[in-house]
Order: sequence, then structure tokens, then C-alpha cells
Amino acid sequence: MARRGNPSSVINANMTPMIDVTFLLIVFFVVVSQIVDRDAVFMNLPAPSQAVAGIPDNQSRVVVNVVPLEHGDVAGIVVAGHTIAWDSMHELSDIVETRLRGGATEVHLRADRTTKYSYVHQVIEAIRAAGLNPRLQLVIEGEQP
Amino acid sequence: MIVRRRKAGTIGVNLTSMIDVVFLLLIYFMVATEFKTAEESFPMDLPLRDYRQTIQLDSEPLVIFVESAGDKKSDFRVRLDGPWDPVSSIEELVLFLRSNKAGRFGASGLFTETHPILIRPTKETRWGHTIAAYNAVVRAKYVNITLDEPS
Repeated sequence: MARRGNPSSVINANMTPMIDVTFLLIVFFVVVSQIVDRDAVFMNLPAPSQAVAGIPDNQSRVVVNVVPLEHGDVAGIVVAGHTIAWDSMHELSDIVETRLRGGATEVHLRADRTTKYSYVHQVIEAIRAAGLNPRLQLVIEGEQP
Repeated sequence: MIVRRRKAGTIGVNLTSMIDVVFLLLIYFMVATEFKTAEESFPMDLPLRDYRQTIQLDSEPLVIFVESAGDKKSDFRVRLDGPWDPVSSIEELVLFLRSNKAGRFGASGLFTETHPILIRPTKETRWGHTIAAYNAVVRAKYVNITLDEPS
């Protein structure tokens, strides 16, 4: 049977809703990628069961990252965009002191859950050596929603 | 005069190239975006240390030793210094601290809320285990907690 139809008609998909949704997604990702926390180095933070910690204030803080290696050792420290070698701990005190004098009130300490306490304790002592009586926040992994 | 009619046609913008670019942008941002994980924290004051002065503790602190046996969450041991019954887990530590807290009905009341608690990990203790012990003391609602030098 011969198929009847208008040979000159063009079949088009309506692209308008797809473009709408795509633009919405782009705007979403553009906005979200700007608010990613750039101070945080990826690591497995401690996650104690039934944690009673609070959500820290993200204003006026300086984040100290103790970058982990395998077997509980430490590669170095990342603070405010600076990478500090483990044997130049006085630099950490200097940077933290500068930030505290610049208006920061809290120091966030991020260390991997497998890092040995002897390293973390040295970092705490270096932050204390910066003076100015800062409030330290021991950062842990938040509850997953 | 002869008026010539144009053949009816569809005037449209070619969207193909724009959609190509838009999808490229979308894929770029989807791959490049790194979502921030939820974080919480324990606040801790760092008092200025003056080596000329000796810190006088009001009462004998309760010392909690923390030792790690491995990297896993449960690979650690807590031990109390003093004539206390041994605690074998974090839950038992919380129970001990709560049941010996003063100022509550039904509590024997050895320690006040501000009683100094000293958490003393070893050099090899994992940070996650130290924080687990710290969390246990906070759960029992004590406020005077010190992370001691590694033993």
C-alpha cells in the first residue's frame, strides 16, 4: 500500500525545553563551583560514632590541613594556600599569627583519622605558639544526611 | 505589475552549534565541581602557655589513656588511670563518666562538670581514636578537657 504524506514537511524535535533545562543545569554548576571550599585538602576526617560536635562558623577562620601519608605519617601542612614542610613548623606559627592579627578568630585543624597523635600534637603546639589565644576547632566528618 | 510571491519557508536560527557548546560547558562543570563534604567540629580553647607560671589544677585530673592497635575505627583501647573499674569500650567510658558525675539524681557524684579530664594518647595513637575518646567525654557533658602530650 502506498504511503500517503506530504513529502515537503520537515519533522523537527522541539528543542526549547531541553535548552531550558540545560541552561538551568549550567547556571547551577557555575554557582556551586564557586562556593567549593578551597581551603580543604581531601582526607578522611575522624568520624566518631554519635558525635556531639557542632557545625563550625566559616567566617574569620584559618584552616590548617595536616596532609596525610600512609601508615599514619605526615607529608606536610597546607595552610592558607601555603605548603609547609614538616621540619619548618615555625612557618606555620608565623602564618597563623598573621592570619589571627588580620582578623581571624578561629583555627580549624583538619587531620586524617589515621594520622599519629604525635604529629597532630606538634601542630597544636605550633598553633599555640602563634599566641593571641585562638579558639581551635577540631574538624570531624559531619553526619551524612 | 506582476507580484512574485516567495515560496513559504521557515526562518530559524541554527541551534546546533550552540547546543554543542552548552553541552560541553555542562559536562565541564559537572566534572570539575567538587562538592564540599559536611564538616563538624569540637571547639577547644588554646590558653597562652607561660613557662614561668605553673598551672594549678583544682583537683586531681582524671587521666584517660588511649592506645591504637590499628587503623580501623574500633582498633583502639581506652584505660583509666586510678582505682577505677576497667572500661573496655567507648560506650563503657561514657557510662562511667555519666554515672560518676556530680549534681545529678541517681549519680554517685565523684566528678563535677568542670572536673579536669586529661586525654593522654600515645605517640602512635591514631587521631581518629583520640577524637573518639574526646567525643565520649563531651557526650558525658564535661567541659574541662585537655589533650595531653603523647606518652
